Amino acid sequence: MAAPVSTVGKPSAERLPLNTTSFQKKTRTKLISIPGTRPSVQNGQLLVSTGVTSLDYLLGGGLAVGTVLLVEEDRYDSYSRMILKYFLAEGVVCRHELFVASAQDNPDDILQELPAPILDDVAIHKPVEQPRLSCEPQDSLDAMKIAWRYQNLPKVQSALASSSRFGHYYDVSKTMEPEIRQAAKCHRFYLTEHPTQSPPTHSTMLESYSALLKSLQEVINSEGFDVAAPMSKSRNILRIGLPSLGSALWGDDLSCHDNPRNGHALATFFYGLRAMLRSSLAVAVVTVPSHLIQDRALMGNITRLCDNAIALESFKGSERETNPLYKDYHGLLHVRQVPHLNCLASKLPDHKDLAFKLKRKQFTIERLHLPPDLSETVSRVSRGELAGAAAVASACGSGGSGNKHLDF
Amino acid sequence: MLTELLQGSDAGGFIIIRDSASCSGRHLLKSFINAALNREEDVHVLGFEVSEEELKGSPVQRLHFHNAYSDPLGWTDKPTFTVHQFCMEELARLLKQTSHPKPATLVIDSLSWILRHVSPPAVCATLHQLRKGGAVRAIVALLHGDMHQRGTVGSVCHLASSVITVAPGMKGGDAVAKITKRSKSGKVVQDEDIFTINNDLTVVIQSKHSQVGHKQADPEEQEMDPTAHLTFNLRLSNKEREAKEKLALPFVFSKEKKTALLHSSPGSGRILYEPDANDDYDQEDPDDDLDV
Repeated sequence: MAAPVSTVGKPSAERLPLNTTSFQKKTRTKLISIPGTRPSVQNGQLLVSTGVTSLDYLLGGGLAVGTVLLVEEDRYDSYSRMILKYFLAEGVVCRHELFVASAQDNPDDILQELPAPILDDVAIHKPVEQPRLSCEPQDSLDAMKIAWRYQNLPKVQSALASSSRFGHYYDVSKTMEPEIRQAAKCHRFYLTEHPTQSPPTHSTMLESYSALLKSLQEVINSEGFDVAAPMSKSRNILRIGLPSLGSALWGDDLSCHDNPRNGHALATFFYGLRAMLRSSLAVAVVTVPSHLIQDRALMGNITRLCDNAIALESFKGSERETNPLYKDYHGLLHVRQVPHLNCLASKLPDHKDLAFKLKRKQFTIERLHLPPDLSETVSRVSRGELAGAAAVASACGSGGSGNKHLDF
Repeated sequence: MLTELLQGSDAGGFIIIRDSASCSGRHLLKSFINAALNREEDVHVLGFEVSEEELKGSPVQRLHFHNAYSDPLGWTDKPTFTVHQFCMEELARLLKQTSHPKPATLVIDSLSWILRHVSPPAVCATLHQLRKGGAVRAIVALLHGDMHQRGTVGSVCHLASSVITVAPGMKGGDAVAKITKRSKSGKVVQDEDIFTINNDLTVVIQSKHSQVGHKQADPEEQEMDPTAHLTFNLRLSNKEREAKEKLALPFVFSKEKKTALLHSSPGSGRILYEPDANDDYDQEDPDDDLDV
């Protein structure tokens, strides 16, 4: 029995143009449009790129503004430092402001080692080039043999200043040119330049951490990153990079002793940092030498107090370096925590076994899987050696692991 | 790599010799002192664990031994050097006493003694300031790895540019040195040497690689080039290659057709259509006879 229903209207005879869609999302303009950010497709949060596109994908599209990313360092702090440099370089390219605080290296040295961006549309001083139009058919036809129908489409997405691309690629072998770097505003905090005074009251936080928090607060208030500040001028994002927080040079004995005296100083710092960031337009990436911290409960505390947390484990120096399974990669990446911001459940990554590899032009994070065993005589890697991350049951590999090959 | 470290080519380095109860690293430390003296450098030694006579037999002019062996904790009235003097101001004053133009090498024997009595963050801060300040050219320190907690050893070794871990070797007089060197660019190089130390404190490297049985799988030997011995020809001569490129493939359009498709002229063919009554097809009412 047909229910009364309105007739299906005439099919709309709309012809969509080739490149864009006519679909416009109806949004209130409460969302601030800041260069280098985009709203998340999952929950509408404002996202910022970390500089590493595969890490953006893992974190659900990017880092949400107002959150903290904790990176647990690898043994020699090479790859975690690389991630921090990518983060700061992305800030320079997107014209955000930077804040670097360090106890070991001078922040200026860190800023001088940022990798150079690869793209041509990162045009700070050079004018933006228009995409090549198809006015010369003779030349362009020989360009593509198979995909010739796509020849006339523009090659480079014309990126203008207001809507720059989300996520750029960097060349690790070159450092960023000084002109590009100096175009971005950087705030520095070097611990050796701040004389430590003894705290008048007994507080749970060390004076180095309090000094850092105070300095951050000053920068946020004075430069207008506070969300509550009047919206008169254009807004920008503050990117905070804190390398090697919690090491002995900050005066913290968390990484030295098994039972540290002020074990909660770092946790209190993270509590204060996150509270400050929630009410400001800032993102922080913090690296912590967690391989030195023996108290796993404290490390768990610190992980809970940050929003995103990943851990890097490099193969250098461990016995896994010679394992043929890992020969393509530089280390393993563990995702310890993914945030749930303004929602009940978070989107965990599908695959838990991830490995990373630092190539010259890209830092890739891939799913670690057993390669197909094609040769007849190679001995199978026994299960015991794969203890750790790669206990993935691949379809063809684990079926008859104990038996000899059957010939059909 | 041990010989390069002994030659001390890079300035601003912080070398830690990490030993344990099974193998002492003091002989290697003496070799480092010897090598620095041979390079005509000033050497300052903070000796906590052994006395001056035991460390070096006869006094050498450029070697300044600061006696912290007799009274390290300052129990007597006039201590020469105490453990609490291990801070930046005192050390800078100590190092300025010699009027040598080149910055000196500081040797600490041993860092473990200091770590027992001064908190590790303070020790790390002092070492960091020493490196950055430029008062010393290089620092060589002996650390007993089994005397401290893992976090302490890890934190101090994290500051070092090179860590040499000595372990007993297979034969009697040998020792194995595992070296980890971190360069300024973040690159980490690891090496393993078997060495012995002669009576005149020169280091002799026995062999480069360790002989512990890692099964070296050689996949290259088993793989042969499959195109090596074939009865048919897989390569193309030049003429054949040209002919191959000239061949017109079935679904590849000619040039004229491609340009025609790419630049379709505006008036080439348009379909004008006005929808009529038959197009108004309602799925739920195909005969169009419901009276709604």
